[in-house]
Amino acid sequence: LKESRTGNLALAIWTDSCLQCRQMADLLGAFEQAVLLVLVKLADQAYGRAILRQVQLSLGRDVAAGAVYATLDRLEKKGLVSSFVETGTPVRGGRSRRYYQVAAAGVQALNDSKSALEALWQGTKWPLSWQN
Amino acid sequence: VATLMAELDSPKPPLLLERTLLLFLKARDRETISGDLLEEYREEKLPTLGHARANFWYFRQVISFVVTQWKEGELMKQLLTLTCFFTVAAGVWLAVMENLLRHPGYGERTAVAVFIALQSLATLLVIFLDSRFELRTVVMLGSIAAALFGVTAIFRTAQAAHFEG
Repeated sequence: LKESRTGNLALAIWTDSCLQCRQMADLLGAFEQAVLLVLVKLADQAYGRAILRQVQLSLGRDVAAGAVYATLDRLEKKGLVSSFVETGTPVRGGRSRRYYQVAAAGVQALNDSKSALEALWQGTKWPLSWQN
Repeated sequence: VATLMAELDSPKPPLLLERTLLLFLKARDRETISGDLLEEYREEKLPTLGHARANFWYFRQVISFVVTQWKEGELMKQLLTLTCFFTVAAGVWLAVMENLLRHPGYGERTAVAVFIALQSLATLLVIFLDSRFELRTVVMLGSIAAALFGVTAIFRTAQAAHFEG
């Protein structure tokens, strides 16, 4: 009976940690969150160039265009973002613009990520101090 | 006509860089992304940085797309697809030629050629249709076997009494 109880407890701990692992794995990366939040901020003005500039402003550093577009592509494949194309302006040689919008799943993912991060920090004094 | 003339007179990034960028973009993104970069180049970078530094900025953006494509596996996918199509064609051609010429041992060589062609076809299937773990494992083992065949063939050819290249 004692062994069985220990086994059940171990199983419960293992199952719980697996669930947490899965939830953590589903979370958005920091860069993905930055891009999604920029889309929220820019609303109906969120097209490639504007997103790139805003991401650079948000992160306070130079960001390569390739990284931003790859993230947008990945988020779109995950169903967190949708996009549509509109006609371009003369300054861009008439080339069309792709506008991005956060999908309902994207909003949910942002909320989940924030909640998970807050839960992770709960009970921990911030800022952390290093002691030898 | 006026718009076209204005576009022709407008400053542009180096043609080689633009062409390289288009090469590394997916068909659906070619117009929109190159347009975004052109807009930034003309409206922001050129007036603030000047011609040389604006071109350098454009060069860096192009490199970022090459690096991203490499990291995402897109470049490798294209290279692998091309290699597989070539190998399928080569395998079929070898099998047909062996059966036409019928030199001693042609049966074994035909079997090897067919195996290599099938292996490449399976790799193409994994690339385009199925990425299940089981099929990927089978294809990976097949690739290792094909590579061993290749290495053995090179050694045997090099050690043969009549080296034919």
